[in-house]
Amino acid sequence: MIWALLLVFVICLLLRVPIAFALGLSCLGYLFWKGIPLIVVPMKMYSGIDVFVLLSIPGFILAGNLMNHGGLTAKIIAFCNHLMGHIRGGLALANIGASMLFAGISGTAVSDTASIGSVMIPAMKKEGYGTGFSCAITAASSTVGPIIPPSVPMIIAATLSGLSVGRLFLAGAIPGFLLGFGLMGITYYISVKRKYPKHPKSSLGQIARGFLDTFWSLLMTFIILFGIIGGVFTPTEASIVAVIYALIIGMFVYRKLSFKNILVIVLDSMKTSASLMVLVGFANLFGWILITEQLPQLISTEIMAFSHNKYVVLLLINVLLIFVGTFMETIAALLVLFPILLKVALAVEVDPIHFAVIALLNLIIGLTTPPLGICLFVSSSIGKVSIGTVSREGAPFLAVSLIVLILVTLFPQLSLYLPGIFMD
Amino acid sequence: MKRLRKRLALFLKYGTLASTLGLITATLIQIYARFYMENAPSWTEEAARFFFIYAMAFGAGLAMKDNYYVQFDVLFNRFTKKTRLWINRIVLLLTLFLFLLLALYGFHFVIQGLPEHSPSLGVPMSIAFSSMVVMGLSVSYFAGLQLLKTFKKPNN
Repeated sequence: MIWALLLVFVICLLLRVPIAFALGLSCLGYLFWKGIPLIVVPMKMYSGIDVFVLLSIPGFILAGNLMNHGGLTAKIIAFCNHLMGHIRGGLALANIGASMLFAGISGTAVSDTASIGSVMIPAMKKEGYGTGFSCAITAASSTVGPIIPPSVPMIIAATLSGLSVGRLFLAGAIPGFLLGFGLMGITYYISVKRKYPKHPKSSLGQIARGFLDTFWSLLMTFIILFGIIGGVFTPTEASIVAVIYALIIGMFVYRKLSFKNILVIVLDSMKTSASLMVLVGFANLFGWILITEQLPQLISTEIMAFSHNKYVVLLLINVLLIFVGTFMETIAALLVLFPILLKVALAVEVDPIHFAVIALLNLIIGLTTPPLGICLFVSSSIGKVSIGTVSREGAPFLAVSLIVLILVTLFPQLSLYLPGIFMD
Repeated sequence: MKRLRKRLALFLKYGTLASTLGLITATLIQIYARFYMENAPSWTEEAARFFFIYAMAFGAGLAMKDNYYVQFDVLFNRFTKKTRLWINRIVLLLTLFLFLLLALYGFHFVIQGLPEHSPSLGVPMSIAFSSMVVMGLSVSYFAGLQLLKTFKKPNN
């Protein structure tokens, strides 16, 4: 019966049923078939959403949108361009740098591709970079966002596993920067080879002005992070403090927010959050059915029957997650698969924090893996170039991401070092 | 019909805004109380959760109205226009069905919650559980409207 449930889910996805509703409909089919009272639908949805840590998600989304409304994307890009523009392929490097800085504000890869891509791809094309290359680097660099804290998928992983949000945020920092700097390395190599342009060196004054322009928004990331890690705020409180901070900065420093603007931004953020929470609610029901059907135990037994070796098990999980990540939205995939695979990882004595970083890294790499990676689609539609061209140009970036994944999988300290230093 | 649609959208809009304001206020009181009061009140967390659930319930309908739900449309785009129209209708019909059931059984859930009271605020849990009915009705209403639109204006 469990396979019928999964089959209905996949068919619904292919028929363009929204992912959240696909989960709900497949659950409904299962409940009808098994004769289980349908009151479990609202019960499980309610209990899935009624989790205190989840309250931080609309807060972070709202704070990010309020900040972004002040033209933050352009300011971050300008600052990175001042810093790196004089290096060969400077604008491409600035693209990655902007994603690393923007990470703390957007928190999701697809929104990062869309917001940075809409500014960067036309600018790169204008300077003579290949369109495919511009789209590929934008898609690849946007995957750094959900790894570098604060990150919405990390909050979801914490909710699903009972892990500390602060620890997970810290665990993602080194892998995130490793990925960002790895992408910068390969970009520089390609830029030198193709003789991509470089700008005259910016003066210290220009760099300082660029820094001041972005300082207030970057400070928000530090307030959130150190507030949570230092035990000053819970993640939910930190998100609301970030909202108030973003409101003050947007109204009195950037002077871009009016009362009317704020209402539109609040509504937009709440619609985005609500679409996520409907997904969380149905995923809770879906997860309950999987547990009732003992699927986690089944998968765990099958994998353990294949091998007890920790690295073989992690390799299998990596392959599965990248595959799923290519066609499924990160949070949806995390909601469905993370609790199941965490049990398998724990059975081979993988640290849960380490595993959460591996799982997230896999899923975001899936976003740029051809032929279906969602970020590839978003960037190719902005650059008006075929997905095949973007995929070909993106191959070196994908290779770097996979190398980082292998390093993070093999060396747990890359994820566990910072939580150990700051939180033990 | 047009007036009803406008009024419902306005109701959901103000419901979302009011619940968000409630969520922010309750959390700010919680922060203030922890730093500046000897005994921090226990109701703030519960109130914030209730406001959050309602913000999400109101927002879910608006998200349906404005197509915020993530879809996977690689295969879909390869179908002919006519096939896409029919698939769209089936998907909207299924969505309508799913959320009407959520509203209907959400109502049973509300009745079940009548004797229960929240530990800190002491309000009946049925008030919080009603959010599922709101979510079910609002999403199904906009799914129904979009379904009707596919028959009235199939070329859109």
